[in-house]
Amino acid sequence: MSIQEQYRKKAAELLSSGEVKLVIGYGAGTTPDRRRPLFVRSADETSKLHLDAACEANLSGYLVTEGLLADRKKVGIFLGPEGIRSVNILASESQLDPDQIVIMGFNREAESVSALEGSNVRDFPAMLAALKEQAPGAGEQALVERIENMTPEERFTFWQAEFEKCIKCYACRQVCPMCYCRRCIVDNNQPQWVQTSSHTLGNFEWNLVRAFHLSGRCVECGGCDRACPVNIPLRLINRRMAMEVLDAYDHFSGMSPDQETVLASFKKDDPETFIL
Amino acid sequence: MNEQFEPKIVAFVCTYCTYAGADLAGTSRLKYPPNVRIVRLPCTGRISPMFILKALQKGADGVLVSGCHPGDCHFTSGNFHARRRWTVFRALLNFTGIPLDRIRFSWISAAEGVKFAELISSLTDDIRKLGPFEQYKAMIHETETPVSL
Amino acid sequence: MIQILLRDKLDDCITRWHAAGYDVIGPQKNNNVTRFAPVEKASELDLEIILTDRTVKELFFPQTEPMFRYRIGKQAIDTEEYLPPGRKRIIFGSRPCDASAMAIDDPLFGWDFKDTYWFQRRNETVMVTIACTESDDFCMCTSLKLAPDSPLGSDIMLRPVAGGKGWHVELLSERGREAFDRIEALLDDSAAEKEPIANVPKRFDLDVCREWLADPENFESHFWKEISIRCIGCGTCTFLCPTCHCFDFQDEGDTYSGIRRKNWDSCSFALFTMHTSGHNPRSTQSSRWRQRIMHKFNYFPGKFSMNSCSGCGRCSRQCPVDMGITETLQEITKTAK
Repeated sequence: MSIQEQYRKKAAELLSSGEVKLVIGYGAGTTPDRRRPLFVRSADETSKLHLDAACEANLSGYLVTEGLLADRKKVGIFLGPEGIRSVNILASESQLDPDQIVIMGFNREAESVSALEGSNVRDFPAMLAALKEQAPGAGEQALVERIENMTPEERFTFWQAEFEKCIKCYACRQVCPMCYCRRCIVDNNQPQWVQTSSHTLGNFEWNLVRAFHLSGRCVECGGCDRACPVNIPLRLINRRMAMEVLDAYDHFSGMSPDQETVLASFKKDDPETFIL
Repeated sequence: MNEQFEPKIVAFVCTYCTYAGADLAGTSRLKYPPNVRIVRLPCTGRISPMFILKALQKGADGVLVSGCHPGDCHFTSGNFHARRRWTVFRALLNFTGIPLDRIRFSWISAAEGVKFAELISSLTDDIRKLGPFEQYKAMIHETETPVSL
Repeated sequence: MIQILLRDKLDDCITRWHAAGYDVIGPQKNNNVTRFAPVEKASELDLEIILTDRTVKELFFPQTEPMFRYRIGKQAIDTEEYLPPGRKRIIFGSRPCDASAMAIDDPLFGWDFKDTYWFQRRNETVMVTIACTESDDFCMCTSLKLAPDSPLGSDIMLRPVAGGKGWHVELLSERGREAFDRIEALLDDSAAEKEPIANVPKRFDLDVCREWLADPENFESHFWKEISIRCIGCGTCTFLCPTCHCFDFQDEGDTYSGIRRKNWDSCSFALFTMHTSGHNPRSTQSSRWRQRIMHKFNYFPGKFSMNSCSGCGRCSRQCPVDMGITETLQEITKTAK
């Protein structure tokens, strides 16, 4: 039985037994290569669920939709490894109760998907530990290094040209499971920290703030990068920030629901090489 | 340029250590350049990275963030939290091309009036050599010019 | 005899237009995004793009534009106005959907107060549109009763000749004629066949949708919640929409001096309708999506007798969660029948 069939069946069982009130998965998209988030509430709709290598989106952001989990009922969800990490972070930041989430986990390979054993976020420690040890995508790493080898002026010029394109649609924020603030810092105007206009300066500030707020929380699902309508390589900044917290604090985000958040914790002997 | 360039530097300092250190520098009649504008805050833990961005947005050529030595925080751990934030934020600034020579961090206690005066002198010298932060100023200038199309 | 503009004469055309004081702007791919930008040579143009990621809207209505600078003194308030550049320009290679969208927005920007920023740019611009011979899975102009060669909003229509060597020139306005007079010597007479225009399938029944939307019964329909459940509330569809025109004013500066700017705004954002009190009349994403559809296909046509949509399909093409106007109107067509 293919994993798609297996999970359709599982979703149907979960829904008909009443264990979950909703399954968040993937459905067919407008074109054959697209998949879209799908919300399934009854067993007979589960045949609409798809699961294949085109299922790229990290659906965990929908779990923090206002009021969704307030009734203490469970929700089933299709999650890749990044999604599982996101749920861990959301739990560690007290945004949800991980026991309300029934995970149908999958791993994406080049052309296919395979099932991940387990249904609670606590069921995947081995997979997450392996992920932490794994070398990140070679392509991104090379690009990050290319940027690091530039002079500061060149780096500034590089990012200035990228951020100039930004139209401040905030798709990067809205698609991100970690951007759950009821009111984002850019939507606050007393004081107005970041300029809301989408001139290069305002865009630069916004993108720095976004990257900083995700430092040590981003799971590199790539959602922001794919969502960006003007193709700003946001994954590179996220990669660089993930490298930083890993190098400095051995922090790999989303390892468990009890993990301490890296910027809200400290050690007395944290490294400090630059402080005069 | 005929006139020597005088950098604008903003210093965000905690009130218990560095501000007191600056005060000591003053009462000790130590000389340091007038290029620095000091903003006093309760603790380095209160110094959001937003402050640094705001200083740059308003045309600063350099920023100093300073507070109590580790272990000396009036609120026990504010500076430990700040240290992690600085580390990560500094990496981000570096990656996006904001020269780290312009953004400095230090621990200065209430007893270190001399350290404060010396740091401000050397920081001002360094930034004077770097010149105005032209790349950032160009972005600020763009916000004041009509759109080209 | 029909006049033809040959592709290899484009460089000469651009030179002549420049000499006559026109800026030439066309579709380009730069830094991984396709958009309209000034060109010096024909080789900078990328005319094979079916539709640019970003629309021509931003050439008339920039994403952020300073309006005036203010300084509040003790006795008086000084203001200094910013105006559009005031240069004649030719937009070469827009698509009929984008060009139509500009004409659709004209009444909006002029019905009570004439928006100088918009109309000055409109009046200075010659729209040279290239009819589409290709389309993709998201194009929907025909569903909006427009076509891959709609003349709406264009000053010149170019229709590709078979083989791709050039275009049939069709003059649509006096402004277009004036611009093409400058390059008349470069045009050839020819009997070359036109390439057939793209065959864009009809994706929904607009009349049925309009009728359904106009029925007050459907305003509170559960349909809206269902159709927009996966909407994440970003502004991609509105900012990439050639007809979406909402804007916001922002004063950048402080109480005593600063710059007032006109910025794009989006009805997808919760903040768009947020009151100072904290109350939000459109508090859910479904009510925001409903507003967007209602505005485009019910309120706007009610006021201006035109749909506020030209069928470019960018909302669906670029949506991070694969939503869009097409899907909604297809579902309405199904529901209503």
